[in-house]
Formats: sequence, C-alpha cells, structure tokens
Amino acid sequence: MDDQTQGGKTTRRRASIGSWGIRLGAISCFAVILAYFAFTAPGFLSFYNILNVVEQSAILGVLAFGMSVVIIGGGSDVQTGGIDLSLAANTGLCAAVFATTSNAGYPVPTAVLAVVATGLTVGLLNAIAVVRLNILPLLATLAVMNVVAGSELILTQNTVISVASEFVSGLAMGSFIGVSFMAWTLIVFTALMICVLHFTGIGLRLYAVGGHPEAARAAGIGVGRYLTSTYLFSGLCAAIASILLVSRLSASTPGSGELLLSVLAAALLGTVFSRRFVPTAGGTILSTLFIGFLANGFQLLNVSSYWVNGVQGTLILLVVAATSLAKPSER
Amino acid sequence: MSMIKKLNLSDAAEVSRFAVLLAFVLLFVFFSLASPSFFSTANLFNVLVNNVVLLAIIAFGMTIVISAGGIDLSVGVSVDVASLAFIALLASGSGVGIAVCGGLTAALIVGVLNAVLITRLRISPFLATLGVLFIGQSVQQIATGGGQPIYLVTGEFAKLFNAIVRTQFIGLPTSVWILVLCAIAVYLLLHRSVFGRYVRAFGAQPGVAWYSGIRVPFNMSMVYIACALLCGIAGILLSSTVRSYVPLSGNAFLLDAVGATFIGTTISTERRPSVIGTLLGVMLLAVVKNGLLLIGWNFYWQQVGIGALVFLVLALSFGLRGRAH
Repeated sequence: MDDQTQGGKTTRRRASIGSWGIRLGAISCFAVILAYFAFTAPGFLSFYNILNVVEQSAILGVLAFGMSVVIIGGGSDVQTGGIDLSLAANTGLCAAVFATTSNAGYPVPTAVLAVVATGLTVGLLNAIAVVRLNILPLLATLAVMNVVAGSELILTQNTVISVASEFVSGLAMGSFIGVSFMAWTLIVFTALMICVLHFTGIGLRLYAVGGHPEAARAAGIGVGRYLTSTYLFSGLCAAIASILLVSRLSASTPGSGELLLSVLAAALLGTVFSRRFVPTAGGTILSTLFIGFLANGFQLLNVSSYWVNGVQGTLILLVVAATSLAKPSER
Repeated sequence: MSMIKKLNLSDAAEVSRFAVLLAFVLLFVFFSLASPSFFSTANLFNVLVNNVVLLAIIAFGMTIVISAGGIDLSVGVSVDVASLAFIALLASGSGVGIAVCGGLTAALIVGVLNAVLITRLRISPFLATLGVLFIGQSVQQIATGGGQPIYLVTGEFAKLFNAIVRTQFIGLPTSVWILVLCAIAVYLLLHRSVFGRYVRAFGAQPGVAWYSGIRVPFNMSMVYIACALLCGIAGILLSSTVRSYVPLSGNAFLLDAVGATFIGTTISTERRPSVIGTLLGVMLLAVVKNGLLLIGWNFYWQQVGIGALVFLVLALSFGLRGRAH
C-alpha cells in the first residue's frame, strides 16, 4: 500500500475512499437487515425487545471483547496471529467452579474470587505458552482448551449443576432505571473497552504490538508484557461471562465450548468495521449486536431454528464480501 | 537418513526437530510397559484402523491448506456432506459407484464454495470457512429434520461396507491402503510437483508469489478443493465404518487435524507443514488417546491428558528452538 512519490496523494485518496466504502458497505448491510426485520417482525423495534437483545448478547459480547483484545495484541495473521481457542472452554470451567463453590456453601465473594482466579490461571497458562515458550497461539490455546474442557468434565461429571442463590437470581432478574443488570454489564463493559482501546496510551501501544512487534519493541514497548496481559484479560472476560452464564441459566451446563465459533465470528466480523481490518471496540460490539439481532429477528419471525445457523453464516459472508469488494487490491 | 547426518547435538534448534519423534517413542514404550494389551497386534491394528486412518486423511487436506498459508475450518462439513450424500444415495437404491461419486461431488461443492469465497470475494480464510461451517450445519439439520441419523443395517449393506473398509489385501484392510494412496498422492502433490512448489510459495511469501506471475487465484482454489476432496474420501470411509450417516459428526476432527498438522511442522527447521510430519502428529494423538484409555483413564481425564501431553511436546519443541534463536 506504500505509495510512490508521484501520484501518491491520489493513491492515498482512493485508498481512503475505498476504506470509507468498506465501512459504509458493512454498516449499510447491517442497516438493511435490521430494516427488513423492523418491517416484517412484529415488535422488533420496541424498546423492550431491543433491551432484550442487548441482555441476551451480554455473554457473547464480553467474550468477543476478550477475543478481540487477544487478536489486537497478537496481530490478525490467519495462522500466526493472536487467538484464544480456550476462551469458551474457560467460560465453561469458570461456570463449573462458580456453581460448585456456591453449592458448597461458600459466600458469594469467595465464589467470585475462585472464578476470577480460575479464569486468570487459564489465561496465565496461555500467556506462558505463547510468550515464554514461543508456541503459536493457535496451537498453544488449542492444547490448553483440551486441558480446560477436560477439567470442566471432571469437575461436573458432565452434568448440569443448578445454583439457587440470591446473588444469582438478583443478577438475572434485577434492574436499574429499567435496564437489567445483564444489559448494564455489557453497556459498562463496552464503554470501558472503547475508552481503554481507543482513547488511552495502553490501547495505542497494544495496537502497535499487534501491528508490528519489532517496531513496537524498538520503540521501547514491553511487547511480552502486553501480550501476557491480553491473555490474562481474555481469562478475566471468561470469568465475567461465566458468572453471567450461571445467573442466566441458574446453573452451569456442559457444552459451553460451542460458544467458541460464535465468539470467533463476532470478533472477526467486527474487523470489517475498521479501516485497517483490525478488531476495534466499536466493531466488536456492532457485530455482537448484529448476531444478537439476527437470532432475535428469526425468533420473532418464527423461522425454524435449523435455518438460523445457515442464514447467519450467509449474512456474515455477505457483509464481509460487501466490504472486500470495496477493498482496494492489497497486492 | 540425511536427517541423522545433519543432527548436531550442540544445536538446540536441530534437537527440537526431534522432540515429537522422541515423545512418540517414549510414550509408545511407556504405554507398552504400563498396559499389557497395548503392544499387541490386535490393539495396534485397531489404533491404525480406527484412530489413524480418518484423521490422517483429513489432516492431509489441512496440511495442503496450511502449507498455502490458509486454514479450513469447514473440513467437518466436507466430511459430513460426503457421508450424507453417500448414505442417502445408497439408501435410495443407487449403485456403490454412483454413491461414491455423489459423496465426492458433495464435498467438491464445499471446496468450490470455499475457493470462490476466498479467491474471488477475497474473504479471509478464517471467516470464509467459518461461514461455510455455519451454513453446512444448517444444511444438515434441514436435510435430516433436525439431526436424525440414517442407518443402513441390512445384510447386503453390511457386505458392501465390509468390502469398502474391511476386506484384507496383503494383510491390511482396504481403508489402510486408501490412506497409503492418499499419503503418496498428497506427498507427490505437495513436495514433488510444480503445484506443490507454488502452494508452499503462497505460504512462505504470498506477495512474491503474486509478483512472480503465479496464477494465485487458480492455484489457491485448487488448494481448498483438494482439501475438500480428501475430506470427502474420509467421509465415505467414516460412513462405511459406522454403517450410517450421523449428522454433525465431522466437526470432531477439526481441532485434531489442525493440531496434528501444526505438531508436524515442528519436524522441519522452517516450521513448514509436511505429509510425514502430519502423519507423525496424527500417530502421536492416536497413541496417546488409545494408551490413556488402556491404562484406565476415563474419557474426561483422557482429554486433560491429551492436552497436557501435547502442551509438553510443544513446549519442548518450541522452547528449545526459542532458546536457540
């Protein structure tokens, strides 16, 4: 993309028009689909329904932010870039830890502490593998995912562990100024992520680490420390999401690992909303809500659940294709 | 044998190449000592037929894609649609030749879809194949009314399936010979042909490959189509082994195939995927799975054990190499 001296300005101009087209393409795709639901699905645009979608997207959103931060710090290369495949399995393990400690009669703060410790331990394991041992993130987190998913099965013996406590039902049912706590969690989390990623030095340096690690190191950034904290952060996100998950279902259930694909879809789809195809806080929350609205719209339209995955996949490809056609040739 | 000549014990990076082989040998010896039934012809045969064949063929497809710098998350879909078409055609009374062609065609469609998305629409391989994976899951649910398996259990089908996977030929069942043929074909394609050289050039230096005048879109399309076809072969073998089509069963191979391929990259100094490396990765996973089962670990602990062992092997291999740099 580096332009020659002559005509450099026009190249740059064209590139910027192209990148505007990309973002507009993605956002307009998004808008068209929402408009379709608004006209056909009864009650789609009601305040209650929108709030409902935000609430249902909370778990996916928190996890997608964890994944996004890892991808930002590790770079977005298909094979060697940052990725955390253990994120969904970690959520399952944390949920199991939360359910077991709560049922064993420990007070809520202790249980929450145990969950956070579990999430961070898994994050630390990933960080050691990637940063200290130089194992490819794709591979390291895959191995950790196996260990974590197995640990969850050992802890729960592959059963549903129901949890009944005031804290859990309060989190699931409670609300503040008409907005439920689940929705508040996502709103506050999003605001924090936007501030930290896009308006602080930490965010800027994190993007530098992912974009060009050598240059970042030469500029005096502790690349290893930043990478380590991205994996710790995704572990923390898994812990937070697991508490939301347990309160939502009043139980920890096996099979949280299936969240992985949706989380990846949300984090990767978010990259089309940015100019340089890197994850951004805004892009991640937009794509998370997009996925949430799609599922919700299908429910309201009474579409059989068999179709949901396929249509979701097609629409994701459509949005990405709309942007990539506007993308100026990279070569 | 040139490998052994090149080995210089003082060079940690060279030693790291043998970490996986060493781990494989050590684990093999350990399980042989720990469980009397592990080192028996019957058991090793069982591991080869049930754990190695299918995963290896799928992992060969993944090896081609990863060599080209991409990834294919939709291997499970190729396996499943091939199995679905194969079994559905047999159930409707078609001949075995037509059923096999139908299965391969179904897989081919998945490959072409991936190829179009990646080379024409320029969607990143991760997102494109993830989208295809979602679509494939829906297609199977719709086709089977929410995930009803199709069983073919009558005697004539049993005979047919036995002919496909179990018939002995020079001491080995047909499925193993199919694996051998696939291995030779992928080896020739990837390591001994012009196409293979292009593919590895995409993986190493995509920009340079483009500027050198290589037809990147065409060759890249072939990469995803070859992968899907290999998965199609695996799908037909899978349904012949279990004598049925079980929806969404192919996805179980995805992470193992990715893992085996990347474990295999550790035997090359440049960390490139290779057929030999992938086969070694598949055998390592198969031996660990079978060995842990035989020494009495239950399914939950097996998963932890596999993760931990793979982690250790990788740590050894990558850690030694990291220090050498």
